[in-house]
Amino acid sequence: MEQTEQTTKDQIYIIDDAKWDELIEITHGAAAVCYQCGVCTATCPWGIVKDETVSVRKFMRQAQLGIDNGSEQLWLCTTCAQCDASCPRGVVISDVFRGLRQVAWDHGKPEEGLPSVLWSVFWNQNPWSQAPSQRFAWAKDLDLPSFDPENHEILFYVGCTASFDKRAQKVSRSLVQILNAAGISFGVLGDDEPCCGESVLNVGHKPYFLEIVDETMKVFQERGVTKFLTVSPHCYDVFKNHYPQMDGFEPVHYTQYLAVLIDEGRLKFEKKLKHKVTFQDPCYLARHNNESQAPRKVLGAIPGITLEEMENNASDTLCCGGGGGRMFLETAAGERFSDLRVDDALYTKADILVTACPACISCLEDSVKSKKLKDFAVMDVAELGAQALRAK
Amino acid sequence: MVASLYGVKQAKKAIWIFLEQEGGKLEGVSLELLDKGRQMADNANWSLVGLLIGKDVSEIADEAFSYGADVVVLADDPLLDVFTVDAYTQVTYDAIMEHKPSVFLLGATPNGRDLAGRLAVRVRTGLNADCTNLNLDKKRGILVSEVTGFGGGIAALIEMQNHRPQMATVRPGVFPPGEPDKKRKGKVIKLPIKLEADTIKTKVVERVVGEGVDLTQVPALVVGGRGIEGDFGLMRELAGLIGGDVGATRPPVDDGYIERERQIGQTGVVCRPKVSINCGVSGAFHFVVGVQESDIVISINTDQEAPIFDFTDYCIVGDVFEIIPALTAALSSVKELAHG
Amino acid sequence: MANLHMVVCLKVVPKPEEIRVDKKTNRLERTDARSELNPPDMNAMEMALSIKERYGGKISILTMGPPYFEPLLRVGLAMGADHIYLLSDRDFGGADTLATTYTLAKGVEKIEGVDLIFCGEESSDGATGQVPPGLAEWLDFNQITMINNIELAPRKKTIRGRREIKAGHEILEVPLPAVVSVAVASNEPRFMDYRIKDWAFEEERMTVWSKDDLDVDAEYIGVSGSPTIVSDLAQAATRERKREFLTGTPEEIADKLKVILQDAL
Ligand SMILES: Cc1cc2nc3c(=O)[nH]c(=O)nc-3n(C[C@H](O)[C@H](O)[C@H](O)COP(=O)(O)OP(=O)(O)OC[C@H]3O[C@@H](n4cnc5c(N)ncnc54)[C@H](O)[C@@H]3O)c2cc1C
Ligand code: SF4
Ligand code: SF4
Repeated sequence: MEQTEQTTKDQIYIIDDAKWDELIEITHGAAAVCYQCGVCTATCPWGIVKDETVSVRKFMRQAQLGIDNGSEQLWLCTTCAQCDASCPRGVVISDVFRGLRQVAWDHGKPEEGLPSVLWSVFWNQNPWSQAPSQRFAWAKDLDLPSFDPENHEILFYVGCTASFDKRAQKVSRSLVQILNAAGISFGVLGDDEPCCGESVLNVGHKPYFLEIVDETMKVFQERGVTKFLTVSPHCYDVFKNHYPQMDGFEPVHYTQYLAVLIDEGRLKFEKKLKHKVTFQDPCYLARHNNESQAPRKVLGAIPGITLEEMENNASDTLCCGGGGGRMFLETAAGERFSDLRVDDALYTKADILVTACPACISCLEDSVKSKKLKDFAVMDVAELGAQALRAK
Repeated sequence: MVASLYGVKQAKKAIWIFLEQEGGKLEGVSLELLDKGRQMADNANWSLVGLLIGKDVSEIADEAFSYGADVVVLADDPLLDVFTVDAYTQVTYDAIMEHKPSVFLLGATPNGRDLAGRLAVRVRTGLNADCTNLNLDKKRGILVSEVTGFGGGIAALIEMQNHRPQMATVRPGVFPPGEPDKKRKGKVIKLPIKLEADTIKTKVVERVVGEGVDLTQVPALVVGGRGIEGDFGLMRELAGLIGGDVGATRPPVDDGYIERERQIGQTGVVCRPKVSINCGVSGAFHFVVGVQESDIVISINTDQEAPIFDFTDYCIVGDVFEIIPALTAALSSVKELAHG
Repeated sequence: MANLHMVVCLKVVPKPEEIRVDKKTNRLERTDARSELNPPDMNAMEMALSIKERYGGKISILTMGPPYFEPLLRVGLAMGADHIYLLSDRDFGGADTLATTYTLAKGVEKIEGVDLIFCGEESSDGATGQVPPGLAEWLDFNQITMINNIELAPRKKTIRGRREIKAGHEILEVPLPAVVSVAVASNEPRFMDYRIKDWAFEEERMTVWSKDDLDVDAEYIGVSGSPTIVSDLAQAATRERKREFLTGTPEEIADKLKVILQDAL
């Protein structure tokens, strides 16, 4: 029995013409223009942590030749888009990886653990195997109003991780405090809030993702949702770049929303904090969406905060390691990007490593703990902001 | 309406217990059922009968008497040496049809369930599985069984009025074991065996006791987190005493204290034990996903604010290195816990 | 065994945490609850699919239940099964284990030529693991229950199933035809194959049989075929964790824990 598993896993797929067309289609022809220069391989952060780099170039070649060896390497990619940014031919490499993964879903065996993630989205409407009826349990005591397009300026779309992960719930709560302090009228979808499908898209199951898009859009339309803010840059990215952009459909990341509120004078942080901080740009903000100013603007509006930048910042940020479905896959100790990132942060002599993404928090906080650091914390922009609100 | 092979009128006022044995010793659940059966029999003035099947097992009858049986019906035959559902169902069926008890109880062990499921159909009667309580209504002679469903969320009382025997299975540990009374004696009735070797289709190819880890199937899980500083010996000792196995959070795995196969969580093993005991575990989301299906969660942590306590039934704010040794000492003083 | 015919018994169950007891009628209120395929049945399906992958053959899904089960049963087809047989009739309702296994057995007989039947270890809505042996008994099939691994000897026509027993395991062998029940969480069910999803939803993939289509004795089905009756129903404790803090000296705490463990194990 074990043997069957093995053989299917390591099977070599010689992809015929039909499959090749499929691949080109899945990857929007992206692979076709690669001229094999190898710049991508050189920039991939896996090169720093693994002796043997993830050969992005080789994958591009295989994609061109229509061969997918379904190797473990295929699932390493965090879709951080570091390589996309450096490719002289403008290949959207993370898309190619998603496409190759789709081929693996169709023709081979996806990485262990990932089918369970999809099933969880299917049965529970979240990738974390949590009971859907508990989605809004985190906000039980907050009395958040159900979204009403007539009365509310904006919808607060919480997202799965920020709804269920105890650590990330703190970010959600902080954000509620800030929105309230700024006098924003907002609502939530409660237990009806659908999963955006980010994990499904990034582990490469495009057909199922498209089904989720339809269902989610149905809920949004029924509830009259147009403008909404997300906690996670991952949700934001999916809504912004992978959903049909209907009239008035306007996803914003919460840092962008807060930045505007600050500009408009509606949000003021009045309590002085005393921290030197550094900022980890989430890939899904800084690279996929070219947004590195908004979180800095919010941090800059908090009195008493000084920001010391790390070496790789803004669109040059180093991935925390949590994207592309890696939150559901194990990364061996010593190979975690977040360890490197915490070292970068320590080098700035900051006492807080701030970020704006639940996945970053998870990974970075883990690294901080494993390094047994004292007097050094990982926080979200929203948490820091909430601390700087005038006490009621 | 479907009728059982014998009805209320033909049924004898007796409670039968399937005496499950392994290597010449009665299973804990059989002792528990004997004790419960004794109480019900006394209350209704019925007799309590043990059905003992195996090879060279007649000596066990005395143990059954000391735990409350009035009679032991004994099926002793070389073909009954190891449990096979074919042979055991056949023999049990013969015994039941001859003596026609009104109530027949079995432990909800793998073998008990196999036998109960087949037998109930063979005699066309009802079967209440995995009961959490039993009561014999002495006026009506009816067994009222309590069962739960939906992960314990719903409890129901079930009975059968016209069918005999009234069958039920009970998981190990539901009822407390009784105290043996060595002076109690009883009667052994030998059952004639009409078995042919070739009617037994089931072959036991391999049987290994005390080996192999499959954390998804363990009844009790002891998890060591970063807070136990790599002392998995302590964890193993406790796990051994409760018939469970050892798991870990990611940090001890990272630090090389224990194999990666034992990591519990989203990117490790997802378990569903009856009990999980988390020692020095903070309760990160990635970990909690791995134990949230446990029936009961116990956690020990020095930090009262640790998030793990939100996912815990029995919270202990304390030092693992004080609590666990105290617990192993307390458990070592009782011989062994029943586990199923 | 290219003509190996396997049956997987799938059951649609309400999500356990969403089920309520209606205080007035004393009945289960499941209309508002989301449904899912009984999780252990998914493991059964995966095991059957792994056999099909290796030896060929076909898989039929067998279910007794109302017509609204249909969309979820189609999920099984999208995973790789070949056909659905839905036994659906008002008169099948209210069945306990005896009537359920009888009706399913009649379904298996009508399907014809079935070699191997897979069931989940138990179902989350209460029927606890007694269906597989009962089904095997009606059909006079062999059985191995609670297995987490299976091997097929195609020429000898036997199966070997491995199951965990108290701190160990055993491997049992029986000749086909047989019923096996699969231990929950013993494998990772594959996700649906979206390339065949449209196919899976085609009408002709499913056959519905009512009591008139099956060779059933009316006395043996539904309520009249069920010896047991529910005399009372209650909402038990919620699934929320107790969060009870145990205090005292380590020895006092240990004594409390000992009692808790003895009750639970
Ligand atoms: C992508 C990803 C996947 C992951 N997957 C998993 C996974 O599958 N499984 C997993 O476990 N983790 C996983 N993690 C790691 C997870 O986020 C946590 O870091 C980890 O679970 C923490 O382990 P811990 O509770 O043992 O350690 P800590 O969080 O360091 O907690 C130790 C606890 O022990 C307590 N303590 C210390 N000394 C004592 C004492 N003497 N007595 C009692 N209590 C004491 C402390 O108060 C503290 O609460 C993953 C992380 C990421 C980013
Ligand atoms: S997206 Fe990031 S992780 Fe993936 S191949 Fe490119 S650089 Fe490497
Ligand atoms: S950087 Fe671009 S062109 Fe160069 S190998 Fe990578 S994908 Fe191809």
